[in-house]
Amino acid sequence: MTRRTLDAVDRQIVARLSEDARVSNRQIAADLGVTEGTVRARVKRMEEERQIRITAVTNIDRFRHGALAYIWIEVERSHQVEAVAQALASINELGFVGEMLGRSDLLVITMVRSNEHLAEFVHQRISGIPGVRRTESTLGVNFVKHDYRMARIVS
Amino acid sequence: MDTPGPRSEQAAGRLQAIDLDETDHGIIDLLRADGRLPYRSIARELGLTEATVRARVRRLEESRTMRVVAVTDIEAAGFGMLLAIGVQVENRSPEEVARELAAVPEVFSVNVVVGAQDIEILMVAEDQVALHRLLHERIATMPGVRRLTPALAVNVLKNQPDWVPFDRDGAA
Repeated sequence: MTRRTLDAVDRQIVARLSEDARVSNRQIAADLGVTEGTVRARVKRMEEERQIRITAVTNIDRFRHGALAYIWIEVERSHQVEAVAQALASINELGFVGEMLGRSDLLVITMVRSNEHLAEFVHQRISGIPGVRRTESTLGVNFVKHDYRMARIVS
Repeated sequence: MDTPGPRSEQAAGRLQAIDLDETDHGIIDLLRADGRLPYRSIARELGLTEATVRARVRRLEESRTMRVVAVTDIEAAGFGMLLAIGVQVENRSPEEVARELAAVPEVFSVNVVVGAQDIEILMVAEDQVALHRLLHERIATMPGVRRLTPALAVNVLKNQPDWVPFDRDGAA
């Protein structure tokens, strides 16, 4: 599925909304020198076509001293990748689920409290999924950057 | 697990953290689902006055607890490729290399890790040519970068991190 890419006006509107999406259409229109109707129609279209998603991002520490864990998953047989990916996507705690080429078959990312928590999470929630052959986890010690403006909008 | 550097910035941010009650969580949930929901609708939904909702949203924003933003789909933004790359470092601190990687706009997530790799990054590229240039001219030549071990995402089923720190490099 290939999505239409954003044009210059779309990008200007998105740049404004990336800073603060509670700003009014009228204000954006005034800043960009276009009509309010143009802004409203474009925001609506970009949302409907899933080019952008306007949402609250929070800085709540779900776990004090939480760390990001990268879990690489290998499947028994290659045809099982899709089914394992679907099962993983339904796990709420996972913020990223991707089918990969190269280092492993799948990558999932989650936030954990500790090494023990990571081991427990992998053991209880991932290893038992039919088709999972082995996992390899990496624990983050310093989360330097995550740009919320970049995402793959899938739902 | 605490290390000096950006961690301490995060710790400083934590000091300003506010206590959230049911009302705050209610507002955050509604704005997560639809960031453009009018104050009036939020007020009606939660049985509050519009003024209360406005004040609560302002408090959440000013305390850097929440921001309402547009998230752009990477494909719509013109990026056809998403990669997860392990970075091995030599002769330089991983923290320093991580900060330099974080300055590359296409690198949207940077995490210093322990294990076979020293840093894990998530990166986008417009196409193969752009990817090649980014990897070999920009990242591989960075001081301290020893080896890059990439994986290409062929299908992303989920990318909705809610752990996003927005008071850090590149995200503010």
